[in-house]
Amino acid sequence: MLIIVLLKWVPARTTQVSQVGGVLNREAMDLVLSPHDSKAIEAADFLKRRIGGKTVALTMGPDVKLIPLMKPLYNAEVMGVDEEYVLSDRKMAGSDTWATSYAVSLGVKKLVEMHAAPIDEMTETIRRSGYSDAVKTKATALYQANLLPNKVYTELPPVRDSIVQRFLGGTITAERAVAELAKVKESLSRFIIVSGIKSTDGETGSVGPQVAEGVSGLLGKVLPHATYVEDLDIDDAATTVVSERRIGRLQQKLEMTLPALLTISTEYRPRESPAALQLETRNNNYRGKILQAKKWTAEDLAADVQKLGLAGSPTIVGTGVDVGKPPIQKILNQSLVFLKLIPQVEFEEKKYGPFKRGQLAADIPKGLTTRFRADGSVGVFDYGMLAEELFS
Amino acid sequence: MTAEAKDVWVYLQRNKGGLTKDSLEALGAGRSVADKIEQKVVGVLLGEGVEPLARQAIQYGADAVLYVDSPVFATYFNLRYIDAIFAMVQERHPYAFLFAANELGKDLAARIAYRAVTGLATDVVQLDVEDYTNPTLGSFKDLLVQIRPDFGTRLARIYTPRHRPQMATIRPGNFIPLQPDPKRKGRLERFKVEDRDYPAKVREVVELPPPELDLWGAEVVISLGLGILKDGSGRPRDPREAYRLAEQLRDAIQRRYHLKAVIGASRALVYAEIKELEGLISKANQVGQTGTTVSPKLYFALGISGALQHRVGMLQSGKIIAVNTDPSAPIFKVAHYPIVGDLYEEFPKLIEMVWETGHAS
Repeated sequence: MLIIVLLKWVPARTTQVSQVGGVLNREAMDLVLSPHDSKAIEAADFLKRRIGGKTVALTMGPDVKLIPLMKPLYNAEVMGVDEEYVLSDRKMAGSDTWATSYAVSLGVKKLVEMHAAPIDEMTETIRRSGYSDAVKTKATALYQANLLPNKVYTELPPVRDSIVQRFLGGTITAERAVAELAKVKESLSRFIIVSGIKSTDGETGSVGPQVAEGVSGLLGKVLPHATYVEDLDIDDAATTVVSERRIGRLQQKLEMTLPALLTISTEYRPRESPAALQLETRNNNYRGKILQAKKWTAEDLAADVQKLGLAGSPTIVGTGVDVGKPPIQKILNQSLVFLKLIPQVEFEEKKYGPFKRGQLAADIPKGLTTRFRADGSVGVFDYGMLAEELFS
Repeated sequence: MTAEAKDVWVYLQRNKGGLTKDSLEALGAGRSVADKIEQKVVGVLLGEGVEPLARQAIQYGADAVLYVDSPVFATYFNLRYIDAIFAMVQERHPYAFLFAANELGKDLAARIAYRAVTGLATDVVQLDVEDYTNPTLGSFKDLLVQIRPDFGTRLARIYTPRHRPQMATIRPGNFIPLQPDPKRKGRLERFKVEDRDYPAKVREVVELPPPELDLWGAEVVISLGLGILKDGSGRPRDPREAYRLAEQLRDAIQRRYHLKAVIGASRALVYAEIKELEGLISKANQVGQTGTTVSPKLYFALGISGALQHRVGMLQSGKIIAVNTDPSAPIFKVAHYPIVGDLYEEFPKLIEMVWETGHAS
């Protein structure tokens, strides 16, 4: 099964944020993997151990910056992805969630097609060439490119009963091989997408559900989605995923037929997967890892450039706003306030007041303040006055 | 498209007790915007037997409620809800569409926005209307100004100039519900949707009891930050001492003034996972953009520097009292009562203030 993990790289420090017109300049900053995304990798890893297949990471941003950063994601023995793809194009710069989701949806579609096509190629080759070296040559090439699951063709010693090997060994007919390949292709249409619940820079949480919608539109079928998934499991046939999710005060168990998308909560803990790798799991796996992230441009995705980047973003980020209005402040042991009700007074031919108890003694002439302080009308704002303002 | 789009829609969430507080706040937000552009507020409500709730929405400021009443809508199921709401949007073309920025609202709004090919501003803390001019796109009249926390150190204005509806999720705790008016009149309209098969189903739903620590419903929040780890002279202090003082302040306020008080914390303190505070301070205490947004009558910020992400979570509080050793701490920008000083010296004075002064109600 194809397990696609959506990842986002975010600024490492809030003190070193480089923005151009409300758009983050990722090339100019140190980036880290958005912390929530590690849960998506955990979930992907659980799924692979549970039913086999391939974990593919998909991210978007400047490739020169991201490709080196993606490297460590391969390395973990237990965790870690098998392949990596970076959507990178100037035309994608400044994308809001809609335009990002559009590009990512195209990336998902390309991945799905990319893994279905080799099965068609094998089918074609068997049909056309029958028992010949061409079949083995084709199978080997696709296997080396990490594009055939072990059950179609493999060079692993424990799996010797792949479709191609049984066909070439004379155990099954061409017709039977083609029928089995059709089943493999069908199973590959049941992919799964996982992501974090939100990124720690934009914090919208919108891209997950929007990619489910985008892929639905591109593939012409409805992809269900589940957000805030705290627990998940998948059936042995890899057709249905059951998730536990938390929506406010609702705890919901949602069953989804694949393909589907899940966003993984920080509360997620992977279930224990079967101790021994089952044969079926291993048969579903691919050769291994391709240790070089691949860049896909807008052209590679056959994207409508009008839907990418700033042009394709329905939202526009305007100017910044100060947080709240500065309140009228009374600073403890510092601000001068009236201690009692003072009727209107005349001072240097101008009228002032009346003043209420607790009112700041501001905007009055210095001489008048001195007089008020001397006669006890004005004093320093203290805990007694504070208590009165807070509790009466 | 722009010309015919009209009305401000508000998605209404419900629980066993009626419309949720988040939804009533969103209605209040919708009302304030609609009045400025002289348009109607339309509530959108899905469920079974929801007519009484539709009438409740009218009392809280809706001019009309568009509702779906069907047994298949009794339980929340995102795909079915999204299809129904999208059908409404496609038929009626609202000008703006507001959802509460909670898990359910975000679950729906994101996917609907993508399908409707329009923008979505999430976690909006302030809403306004203004004429907007953009050098490349031109001028737009009466556009929604959707203000949300931006990464970095500021709030940003988000506009959706060319697409309708202008969609936003409204951050709970930032808008005030209207006073219910039983005499308000409004139109209730039932919307018919055709059901279909979905590649997913809800197997089980449990409504969990309200959380024990109710930061949101508290009248007084006493929040602690990383400043509790040191006193004014920079010497390390046992944070449990500050926690006990916070408990004393809380209890004093509760007993003397019968105000519901709870202890909160900054994100920095929660994420620091301090051993001594295990079992005392957790994510449930966290106030701020990634925690809970609160708007109590009184907010005490004790040893909190006041990063933007904290300030947006408490700045609607009635009166803000802040204690910090650093006079330039950003928390003082929003505090009504700044107290510059050593937390461990001022804390006992605050407690004494509650017991000894003022007049009890």
